[in-house]
Amino acid sequence: MASAATCLHATSSIQAQGSKHVFPLQMVSKGFSLDMQLRAKRKNFPASLKLHAVHASSSHSSIADPIEVPSNNNSGDSEKKSTEASLILIRHGESLWNEKNLFTGCVDVPLTKKGVEEAIQAGKRISNIPIDMIYTSSLIRAQMTAMLAISEHRRKKVPIIIHNENEQAQKWSQIYSEETKKQSIPVITAWQLNERMYGELQGLNKQETAELFGKEKVHEWRRSYDVPPPNGESLEMCAERAVAYFRDQIVPQLLAGKNVMIAAHGNSLRSIIMYLDKLTSQEVIDLELSTGIPMLYIFKNGMFVRRGSPIPPSEAGVYAYTRRLALYRQKLDKLDEMFE
Amino acid sequence: MATGAHLHAMGCMQGQMKNHSNGSQNLAGSSQLRMVNESFYTDLRLFRQDNLHFKIWKLSMACMSGSQFLVADPIESSSIRSSCDNHRRNNETALILLRHGESMWNEKNLFTGCVDVPLTQKGANEAIEAGKRICSIPVDMIYTSVLIRAQMTAMLAMAQHRSKKVPIIVHNESEQAQTWSNVYSAKTKKESIPVITAWQLNERMYGELQGLNKQETADQFGKEKVHEWRRSFNIPPPNGESLEMCAQRAVSYFKEQIEPQLSLGKNVMIAAHGNSLRSIIMYLDNLTSQEVINLELSTGIPMLYVFKEGNFIRRGNPTGPSEAGVYAYTKNLALYRQKLDDMPE
Repeated sequence: MASAATCLHATSSIQAQGSKHVFPLQMVSKGFSLDMQLRAKRKNFPASLKLHAVHASSSHSSIADPIEVPSNNNSGDSEKKSTEASLILIRHGESLWNEKNLFTGCVDVPLTKKGVEEAIQAGKRISNIPIDMIYTSSLIRAQMTAMLAISEHRRKKVPIIIHNENEQAQKWSQIYSEETKKQSIPVITAWQLNERMYGELQGLNKQETAELFGKEKVHEWRRSYDVPPPNGESLEMCAERAVAYFRDQIVPQLLAGKNVMIAAHGNSLRSIIMYLDKLTSQEVIDLELSTGIPMLYIFKNGMFVRRGSPIPPSEAGVYAYTRRLALYRQKLDKLDEMFE
Repeated sequence: MATGAHLHAMGCMQGQMKNHSNGSQNLAGSSQLRMVNESFYTDLRLFRQDNLHFKIWKLSMACMSGSQFLVADPIESSSIRSSCDNHRRNNETALILLRHGESMWNEKNLFTGCVDVPLTQKGANEAIEAGKRICSIPVDMIYTSVLIRAQMTAMLAMAQHRSKKVPIIVHNESEQAQTWSNVYSAKTKKESIPVITAWQLNERMYGELQGLNKQETADQFGKEKVHEWRRSFNIPPPNGESLEMCAQRAVSYFKEQIEPQLSLGKNVMIAAHGNSLRSIIMYLDNLTSQEVINLELSTGIPMLYVFKEGNFIRRGNPTGPSEAGVYAYTKNLALYRQKLDDMPE
């Protein structure tokens, strides 16, 4: 049903290029008012976003679209931008060793109650963003984060962990219904997405380690790019295997139009962001990823456009980042209405 | 310091101990026993499930100089035992069995088997509630299946545990996995609970029924065939496992890997699935194949066994902290609980 065209009047139009500012932008439409904040954390904020007034024939959404689309876009809902895919990155929340202030690395410790809650909240933020595939590390804290988050998703597809460790595991986990397979989201676990391996610091108290090795040495291991702790990985080594995996396994999925979520760890995700945003090694060292707050990228025409952090449904904010996402959300709304 | 507590047994029952080396009589019926003491009142209920053998214990009056609690002791001794807090029965350990709660395919009524589907929000809550029931029972090692719904159940349950020890999943899949997960502090290791994942504890593999709707399957194969696959002991669905086959690999694993830990004095928790746990219970309680078919294990409600001198003694379901119930099942468990009570927050 075509509703009247919605006009969005931009009260200000902003171009952002690598500056450390927060820009509030107010968009007022006939149906509702939106507040959108662009937060540029670091100097190298790569995407320059131009906001246009858009006429959308059947949706009330505001669309911030990096592509310079002419304002009269009435080609309708059927126009599929097939090369666009969403990429969500989620860093897991508090683990039992975070709580105890112990170096964790690749030791497989689970989430605390707080970490569980963070995962659920993260899920609420991404409940309207399509997800076709999930990648996690082989550590339970990332896997639990993914499962708890997706249990909040409106689409109600069921995530299913793929088992490839041997032939029996593969055979035993087979699904015999096409319909069921279509309602599933494959979950692939990969050690390459694990946290940076911390070698001989794993299990040590941060205070003890400083006493044992000296504060400066520890600071160097933690914050340098290429100096590994004894028998451990440097950030560079972590980035090498995480980014290689991302390029070889995940990018092809995005190219095929699959929407992907990656639930992983501080260092493996930073490494991937370094690749997505083309950061220097100095910049990636300074990059801090919030725990439990998902980050959205739009992959389009071979480019990654950072879209910040989706907000939970209860907060005012951008309704959808692109037209495609707005249409997806509408579909979810319709599904809900059907099953009320 | 508390004075000795007197426990007046309002009824005293004698039962026969059942162990693995000999069969014994089947005693049916449920009984209730009330014990009243000076400071508190406890309710002890023994219950059974269809056609199961069960044990009745002789309840002995115990006078403990340093503690006030009820002790149900299977050893045939009605003498008043003088306390020694130091008198620890070293060869007694706790075994907790925990069946995971609702999964996303349970909710959709699909045959799941070994397909690795996660818990629903309800299933996650069931795990948390289960954790509250066992928060005062010692756990030294955890075994789970390789399926996420059992692993999450174990982790969510342990997040409620009072001991503050940290469960750590052991990775043995490759040499790298092993080296990468090394812990370099002996103190930290002592405060860890190893978690071992084993496919042998997986749910019964349901073959060509996996992913099918229960209704569709009945339409496709016929209601009786499906009923036979689901409820017989030794008839597998096409390309799947029968309950017998599931029991074979689950019980072997239990006997070879888990029982030795119990004999070494480790308290163990197993978080697994309906069929793998039933199979283990079949072994623990010496059930016949007919009896195990009728055995239904509640989801998210932990079952406690006490392993002592080679015998498994079923102790029912630990109650939530807010419910009245047995304070502790044995002296060791009571002492453990006291230690937790005395721990600084």
